[in-house]
Amino acid sequence: MTAFAELFIGGLMSGIVVGLAALAITLVFGIARFPNAATGDAMTAGAYVALSASAVTGSTIIGGLIGALAGAALGVAAYALVFRKLAGRSSVANLLASIGVAFGIRAVVGLNFGYQQQMFQLPLVRPWHVLGIRIQPNDLDLAVVAAITLAAVFIILYATPVGRRMRAVADDPGLAQVSGISPSRVMVALWALAGSVSSIAGVMYGMKTVITPEMGWNMLLPAFAAAILGGIGHPIGAICAGVLLGTLQEMATPFVGFTYKIAISFVVLLIVLLLRPQGLFSHAEGAR
Amino acid sequence: MEAYLVAVAIIAAIYALLALGLNLQYGLTGLINFGHVGFFCIGAYTAGLMAQYGIPWPLSFLSGAVLAALAAWPLGLVSLKLRDDYFAIVSLGFSEVVRIVVTSEQWLTNGVQGVTGVPKLMRFLGNGLTQPLAVLNLLIAVNILVALAKLRIVRSPFGRMIEAIRDNEEAVKALGKDPAGFKIQVLVLGAAVAGVAGGFYAHYIGYIVPEQFVPLITFYIWMAIIIGGVGRISGAVAGTLILMIIMEGSRFLVDVIPSVSGVKMASIRLGVIGLALVLFTLYRPQGLLGDFTRR
Repeated sequence: MTAFAELFIGGLMSGIVVGLAALAITLVFGIARFPNAATGDAMTAGAYVALSASAVTGSTIIGGLIGALAGAALGVAAYALVFRKLAGRSSVANLLASIGVAFGIRAVVGLNFGYQQQMFQLPLVRPWHVLGIRIQPNDLDLAVVAAITLAAVFIILYATPVGRRMRAVADDPGLAQVSGISPSRVMVALWALAGSVSSIAGVMYGMKTVITPEMGWNMLLPAFAAAILGGIGHPIGAICAGVLLGTLQEMATPFVGFTYKIAISFVVLLIVLLLRPQGLFSHAEGAR
Repeated sequence: MEAYLVAVAIIAAIYALLALGLNLQYGLTGLINFGHVGFFCIGAYTAGLMAQYGIPWPLSFLSGAVLAALAAWPLGLVSLKLRDDYFAIVSLGFSEVVRIVVTSEQWLTNGVQGVTGVPKLMRFLGNGLTQPLAVLNLLIAVNILVALAKLRIVRSPFGRMIEAIRDNEEAVKALGKDPAGFKIQVLVLGAAVAGVAGGFYAHYIGYIVPEQFVPLITFYIWMAIIIGGVGRISGAVAGTLILMIIMEGSRFLVDVIPSVSGVKMASIRLGVIGLALVLFTLYRPQGLLGDFTRR
């Protein structure tokens, strides 16, 4: 029983990572209207930047913050150099370009940081025992980071002018434009937000496991599945679906084995598309 | 030198076959198949494994094509009724899951060690240049056959229908046709072609491991059809040739510049493909040889 409780906690942790990645995907999908395949590799880039920054500064927190800022910069750069020019083109063109951006990021990461597994130098802390269940204090820290990130994202989305403009563009780009909302400024804010969220997800994932140039790409499928399960363009849905999917993956590991973990999100994706393509949380029109 | 050229030509012909399949799916019908390598993988493993039991290759190639088509069918059924980019995600996921399955099911595929000792095709021709040349000719014949079949499809009512789906799906629906049904047929056809290509690959390389079937291969093929011009048979072939020149050229680069190691080269190649994907979608979506009047 305690083994399952520990699996559940591990699942929640990886679920938060999936949820954050899905949040980044769903934000871009809702506003720029294409599935951004570079999300995974943006995670990787964030993790590597945070790793080197914390090695230089000696503080994981400052390193993580620099990673998040670098993620925002990467997002804005991707928008300025690539996706701005593709606005108004088909989602296929954007999707292909995002694959190109993903490969580009992975190539740069591989050339700069090598292919060896790397790890954050986290202090070893004795786990707490609550009712016989081991809880890693580090997990708690990560949960706090995730909560702060989510709070920040939702405050930006629902309580600031730029967030209101973003939601307006997501709802109806044409109407938003005739109301005097400048699409390019909204887009810059969107890409900065999506970039830093993916970066934070990457840093958290890197702290839970190891850092490799492939780590983000491997998270892409669960993140896509969670974004669709939560309903495209639905931030709260993406988070809930991510946590659900991550927990499901970890809980199923003893039954299906480690390697099939990723396959579970694929099966979930197929079932969702078959039964409820608009997602669990989405309103009626959906993004079908 | 001749042996090297023939080797490159064989790989190019296998890629061209893959490109023809994808061209049918994306170029003619507009399907965003990001999982092409999955069907290729199914074909390769089917041929490789059946060869272990001494089953003649025409039969195993056929089985590979059928299995790839059977795998494509439910995939299309689930996702081709929805918006285009959902199919892109599903197919990408599919190819990753295929790779996970061949990695994990050790009893069947020998896991990461892979299937080794897949015999060469037409071994009775001996060890000289005749055998690879014969394989190359066979591959070219298959390519021509597929290209001719595609030409026939383009000129048939079916071809007009799938091109109409690509150009304006809503209009096709308004005429009372069901685009999803046609899309599924095209997906299955293209997957079968990729399965045959996989069979050739397994027999030519002689061993198959899961690492050969990474998504990067899918995007090599995408690159080829984009370079050559989407939707054109000549484009698929020309694009494959340009792609091969780039890839083989990069192999020589390793010899010329000693500071670039093999792993680094893999990264550079990934970066070049990524950059090319971005630049082509930005500046030349119709490809180098593409049709300027359409799209």
